Amino acid sequence: MTTPAQAKSDPFLSDRPVVAPGRPLLEVENLHKSFGSLHVLRGITTTIRKGEVVVVIGPSGGGKSTFLRCLNLLEVPTSGRIWFGGEEIVSGGSLRRDGTDANLSHRERERNLNRYRSDMGMVFQRFNLFPHMTVIDNVTMAPRMVRRVSADAARRKAMELLDRVGLPDKANAYPQQLSGGQMQRIAIARALAMEPRVMLFDEPTSALDPEMVGEVLAVMKELAANHMTMVVVTHEMNFARDVADRILFLEGGNILEEGTPTELFGSPKNARTRDFLGKVKN
Amino acid sequence: MHPLTFAASLASLSSWWSAQSENFYICFVKNDRWQYITNGLWRTLEVALCAVVLGAILGFLVAVVRSTHDKHGRFGFLNAIAKIYITVIRGTPMTVQLLIAYFIVFSNLNDKVLVAILAFGFNSGAYVAEIIRAGITSIDDGQMEAARSLGLSYTQGMCRVVLPQAIRNILPALGNEFIVMLKDTSIASFIGLDDLARGGSIIRSQTYQAYIPFLAVAAIYLVMVMIFSKLLARLERHLRRTGGK
Ligand SMILES: Nc1ncnc2c1ncn2[C@@H]1O[C@H](COP(=O)(O)OP(=O)(O)OP(=O)(O)O)[C@@H](O)[C@H]1O
Ligand SMILES: [Mg+2]
Repeated sequence: MTTPAQAKSDPFLSDRPVVAPGRPLLEVENLHKSFGSLHVLRGITTTIRKGEVVVVIGPSGGGKSTFLRCLNLLEVPTSGRIWFGGEEIVSGGSLRRDGTDANLSHRERERNLNRYRSDMGMVFQRFNLFPHMTVIDNVTMAPRMVRRVSADAARRKAMELLDRVGLPDKANAYPQQLSGGQMQRIAIARALAMEPRVMLFDEPTSALDPEMVGEVLAVMKELAANHMTMVVVTHEMNFARDVADRILFLEGGNILEEGTPTELFGSPKNARTRDFLGKVKN
Repeated sequence: MHPLTFAASLASLSSWWSAQSENFYICFVKNDRWQYITNGLWRTLEVALCAVVLGAILGFLVAVVRSTHDKHGRFGFLNAIAKIYITVIRGTPMTVQLLIAYFIVFSNLNDKVLVAILAFGFNSGAYVAEIIRAGITSIDDGQMEAARSLGLSYTQGMCRVVLPQAIRNILPALGNEFIVMLKDTSIASFIGLDDLARGGSIIRSQTYQAYIPFLAVAAIYLVMVMIFSKLLARLERHLRRTGGK
């Protein structure tokens, strides 16, 4: 763990508030999101503690992606409150277009938004690697631009991460030269390069051929084993069973049930949960 | 063929040939008339190259305003101006725009070259803006989202992620726009600019020869277009080789 003293000297960690002691890393209270007249999230309340792996399951259209995207404000919540590391980043009372404090100027709000996002890694279903950059540039760009890390330090860090996801020899390849599984592992490395405090995964294996799912899940398991805080939307029930500390069942914009894998898979209380698990059982 | 007819046609061919070389001499060599062509050529290149730079800058700014407005609703006023600009430029003939620029908008500017650069630059800007906007729209939203999720600002995401890909995709269309503009500059003779096309005109009016000067001018335009097309194809190949789609 990083102490405040270390944080000063580490270019990746300087300038970042530490989680207020005793507070969960993420707190979500009565979160609502509508797209026009379509009411997608209907009052989500949950907390995510540091080091916890939370898996979100539920039927298509239930709002899983929207929930994740609200957490790092890619979507602006319609109402509700979110605290990140004890700092209120969405506040129902003074909600503005981008969900941050209405008393701040546009520029200040943008800067805060960028800071929150840089502390949350996001992994997308369709990888979203930057096709015009080599793998190493994909991984080093954000630390260099956002954290102002030197080219050398960013490169060293990136090589470590490529090693960690098992692709050290792909540093100079372009994304389109890689397989889907390799691209997703690079995307994970790219997010990790910012040393995020939480990683959000939106169906990271759904766009992959079956034989590549395992390599990506293995990287995610290694992250979980090293106490990364993770929120994972997935249909991989075995992964949920093995890795999750807690599972949320999301349907119709509500968390209908939550619990440990044993509770949820063993004896689901809600009829809808039972129904869903019965359908996806493999 | 009868040997006599053959000899006769040979003779007429050789007299045609000597007449042509005489005409060529009158058109280009006598009184150093070739300078109308070369000076005109530099003028044409000067106007086209300056206008393409102006058009690119304008088009780029307008495109960024338009697509930012489309996505975020910001820049309402600028977007309205940009829309009027594009509509007016694309809805009126270039010749009329040039005349309006010369006789009305910039009527107190004596510099025909400058007026032509401004007129062609503003014209090109409207087309370039729509090309770039289409290029930006064609980039998957996930690219900007990935950039934002890493903490990049909208501007950083635009400059480092979206625009480099957009510009690569639209390079053929942009090159084509330049080539069209290069040829269009020939209508600058309407305001009496001494460009390549006017060089041909002047020679014709002095020598009463139409064929040779105009065919020569046409050939020069053709060669320029072929050279620029070639350079463009090479640039595209180079960009493809250095990764990306
Ligand atoms: N940007 C948007 N504009 C309008 N409607 C949207 C938007 N994003 C999502 N929706 C709608 O919100 C609902 C929930 O979508 P969401 O993507 O969150 O579901 P999901 O649980 O992730 O489903 P899936 O398993 O298919 O990914 C859907 O009906 C979807 O059509
Ligand atoms: Mg989804």
